[in-house]
Amino acid sequence: MKKKFAPLMAAVTAAALFTVTACSSSDSSEEGAVDPNEKVSLTYWTWTPNMDKVVAAWNAKNPNIQVTVNKQDGGDPAVTKLLTAVKAGSGAPDIMQAEYQKVPTLVSADALADISAEVGSLKDKFPAGAWSGVSLGSDAAYGVPQDSGPLMFFYRSDVFEKNGLAAPKTWDDYAAAAEKIHKADAKQYLGTFSANDAGLFTGLAQQAGASWWGVNGDSWTVNINDAATQKVASYWGGLVEKGVMDNKPMYTPEWNAALNDGTQVGWVSAVWAPGVLDGSAKDTKGKWKAAPMPQWDAAAPKTGAWGGSATSVTTQSKHKKQATQFITWLNSDPEALKLLADTAFIYPAANDATSVLTEPPAFFADQADYYTIAGEASKQLSPFTYGPNVNVAYSAFNDAFAKAAEAKKAAAFTESLATMQKTTVDDMKNTGFNVAG
Amino acid sequence: MHAIKRSKLATLLLILGAAYCLLPVLWVLIASSKSASELFSTFTLMPSTHLWDNLVDLNGYRDGLYWRWMANTALYAGVGAAASTLISAMAGYALAKFDFPGKSAVFNTILAGVLVPGVILAIPQYLLLAKLGMTNTYWAVLLPSFISPYGIYLARIFAAASVPTEILEATRIDGSGEWRTLGTVVLPMMRTGLVTVFLFQFVAIWNNFMLPYIMLGDDRLYPITVGLSGLLNQGASQPAMYTAVVTGALVSIVPLIALFLTLQRYWQVDLAAGGVKA
Amino acid sequence: MSLTSTAPRKTEAPPAGSPRRRKAKRAGTPYGFLAPAMILFAAFLAAPIFYAAYLSLRKVKVSGLGLGSKSRTEIWAGLDNYTRSLTDPEFLPSVGRVGAYGLIVVPTMLGLALMFALLLDANRTRESIGKFARISIFLPYAVPAVVASLLWGFLYLPRVSPINDIAEALGFAGPNLLSADLTLFAVANIAIWGGTGFNMIVIYTALKAVPTSLYESARIDGASEMAIAWRIKIPIVMPSLVMTFVFSLIATLQVFAEPMTLRPLANTISTTWTPLMKVYRDAFARNDIYAAAATSVIIALATFILSFGFLKLVGRRAFNQED
Repeated sequence: MKKKFAPLMAAVTAAALFTVTACSSSDSSEEGAVDPNEKVSLTYWTWTPNMDKVVAAWNAKNPNIQVTVNKQDGGDPAVTKLLTAVKAGSGAPDIMQAEYQKVPTLVSADALADISAEVGSLKDKFPAGAWSGVSLGSDAAYGVPQDSGPLMFFYRSDVFEKNGLAAPKTWDDYAAAAEKIHKADAKQYLGTFSANDAGLFTGLAQQAGASWWGVNGDSWTVNINDAATQKVASYWGGLVEKGVMDNKPMYTPEWNAALNDGTQVGWVSAVWAPGVLDGSAKDTKGKWKAAPMPQWDAAAPKTGAWGGSATSVTTQSKHKKQATQFITWLNSDPEALKLLADTAFIYPAANDATSVLTEPPAFFADQADYYTIAGEASKQLSPFTYGPNVNVAYSAFNDAFAKAAEAKKAAAFTESLATMQKTTVDDMKNTGFNVAG
Repeated sequence: MHAIKRSKLATLLLILGAAYCLLPVLWVLIASSKSASELFSTFTLMPSTHLWDNLVDLNGYRDGLYWRWMANTALYAGVGAAASTLISAMAGYALAKFDFPGKSAVFNTILAGVLVPGVILAIPQYLLLAKLGMTNTYWAVLLPSFISPYGIYLARIFAAASVPTEILEATRIDGSGEWRTLGTVVLPMMRTGLVTVFLFQFVAIWNNFMLPYIMLGDDRLYPITVGLSGLLNQGASQPAMYTAVVTGALVSIVPLIALFLTLQRYWQVDLAAGGVKA
Repeated sequence: MSLTSTAPRKTEAPPAGSPRRRKAKRAGTPYGFLAPAMILFAAFLAAPIFYAAYLSLRKVKVSGLGLGSKSRTEIWAGLDNYTRSLTDPEFLPSVGRVGAYGLIVVPTMLGLALMFALLLDANRTRESIGKFARISIFLPYAVPAVVASLLWGFLYLPRVSPINDIAEALGFAGPNLLSADLTLFAVANIAIWGGTGFNMIVIYTALKAVPTSLYESARIDGASEMAIAWRIKIPIVMPSLVMTFVFSLIATLQVFAEPMTLRPLANTISTTWTPLMKVYRDAFARNDIYAAAATSVIIALATFILSFGFLKLVGRRAFNQED
């Protein structure tokens, strides 16, 4: 591991040096000694619901570091705006919610500040897997992990019972259950293959053992069309082709209605799903159960991740130190962790989170072991490296898989991977990244 | 006999047209009367009784942020359209009533401006305004909306049609200054046309999405289109938001409908007035 | 001012406020009136366009792994971005799609607008119905494209649509309006819905300006309303029709908000469904403003050529009315 990342570390450290020198020349007054009585106001871009309420707790206690939440539409629009602001040289917030898969892109665009000097030993308070999402395998720290999204499986226990089914242990079980449920009631589906959600597909590929990007010497490798991802694509393509799996995108009014009226009776999702189901499937509350992910190899359980973000300081912030103080509190202080879990409904990444996550989420009030399952899942995360152009790969995913899902052909699913691979590699080469192969 | 039959057909066609145009408005009216759980479960065209509750919820969304969006929109559209109308009127009058070197070059350049899509302009506009440190402010949305090639084009037509050259000559012989003439004679004569230009630009700014979407990061500066689209995005994972989106959409079109009804007589847009005359 | 010195000196020096002085003063006036417009035009239209053109010739070059602040530099790209844009396998289909979309939208929208305008002008309905219809049909113009697409989106999704509810109540399967075959029409419908009323008002205004004397005699001679419309009214409002056609054409080439809003709802609208969506994807999803700028320049040029070409074809009268 260490060896593999050595060049990356060198590059990142060099970059960090540049950043530091650049800062010291321009912002020395702010960066030098922080005047404890200096009043600063920081802006914070996030799209997590109710984050303003969590921040209010901080503002009440820190009159000199006031944080203002600017609510964003979502991860993609926020990143778009941040990158545009970086390009323009002004307009970025001080603090930014950054999904793990976007961190390399943002670092590559010089949007996130390295705060390794400011965070000190904070690293020890987080699982190694979560921290690697902000360190990119180096000594740098491009933020503090906030939450994580280990994949889990959610299903309507009443429907499973009616069909004499148990929670699927393997993907074979899942396929059999999908078929049985759809055969019993042609309106019901155990799930849908959503071409809008590249993040979920990435998590599924991760579970199967894929790691789409990698670093080899001073060049990148891209492995989107590998055997593991092929296996996942052909599995879901097969289910869609058979007609036992729906092919409509998730997160549409239609999908929400389907969760609520019992035509979608299962959801491969992540630990944060209760928050969504609470809104979408209100009428079926009490009928859902959470389970570990179906496995490719039940003997060696693995999972992937969908979602999860870090909180980062941007390169345009003039108050790096204060911003770091705030995000450290936000993501590691027990009071904040409790607020994050209870008010913002996220699954904090910090080790201490287990102490605040005692009650199961309201939607799964009867399932006392909810966070035990989630905790197990987070330990089984397969390693996965994100590259500097995840956005390109994801938009290629959207287009190629939308066509494949509409065509309902398994062959089209696997062919889409070749398209993704080519688009991603071409883009990296065109931009001048060293790409092996 | 023949005439009566045709008039029935005319009535029918017009009513069909009106029905087609009103269908989505009717739907949003009905949908906003439903509670979140009824929205996608009860028969679509069956109204419910929760309109008031939904308005209260909308009002409560993040301390009345919605009304702030409405006020912002009114500010952007009102100030933007007023400034743009004045600027267009001056330019249109100059182009219609003066002969000067470079006139046709200026006019053709402005015409070309009509053809440029906003999406294409938005990014470079952002980058340029960022250099001035003006992004994420009211000015970022207001300043670019002050210039409307289309408004200038219309103002030129109105000036040509409504300001008689003889009157201009008369004021000149009286020794009245050109700026004074503009204020006391020309603008009042163009009044009807200028209201139309104002309405045009008002609607264009009210409907604009791309420019504020890119320029603004702080949602307290959003106009209604950007705010609603954000709510819709949130609705994807919090379906309760759909009710707010639908109710918000309904409330957002009410002021424009009111504006249309009160200023109906100004909606007389003759794109080719001069053409007819010639 | 040098002109004054060469002026004939046959009379005494002109007194202040003489016609000539005033004329000289007046020569600057149009520029004064134009100044605010031209400054703003230069700042917010011309400069961005030139900047986009400049960006289209540039690209970013990353060194090594591309992590860190000094790893990115901007370099000249020549026509690289244009080649990539034009050879993108998604580009031509998106152009074709917009062409097909235009063939649906422009004739349907203008046909409906002309029909409604003539019906209103013919005054063959009760006044209240005419007024009601005129306002109703114009109303969609007040609805922002984003909001309109959002509303129609709800109406299109089979599970939540009243169209499908009604179809099912009548005993047959409702259509999936966002399926591969129908998406183009679904998007076109939103544009037609939003644009018909405005064009109707434009044509109606032109019709009202036609002196009734022109067709009263024809009416007395027993000509049908249809014949009057065809032979007298339509030819007279032709310049207005030409202008609505040009502006509709421009709007068509710029179709963006409707498919963009509908995209997340269905598999059938790709991120490059129209050329402007490709610009948006390149600039925002892919963070490649250089490729986006190149595609923008191509679209802008195509719009110019088409609109000016069309105006050349029909004669430039419409744009060049003078007193």
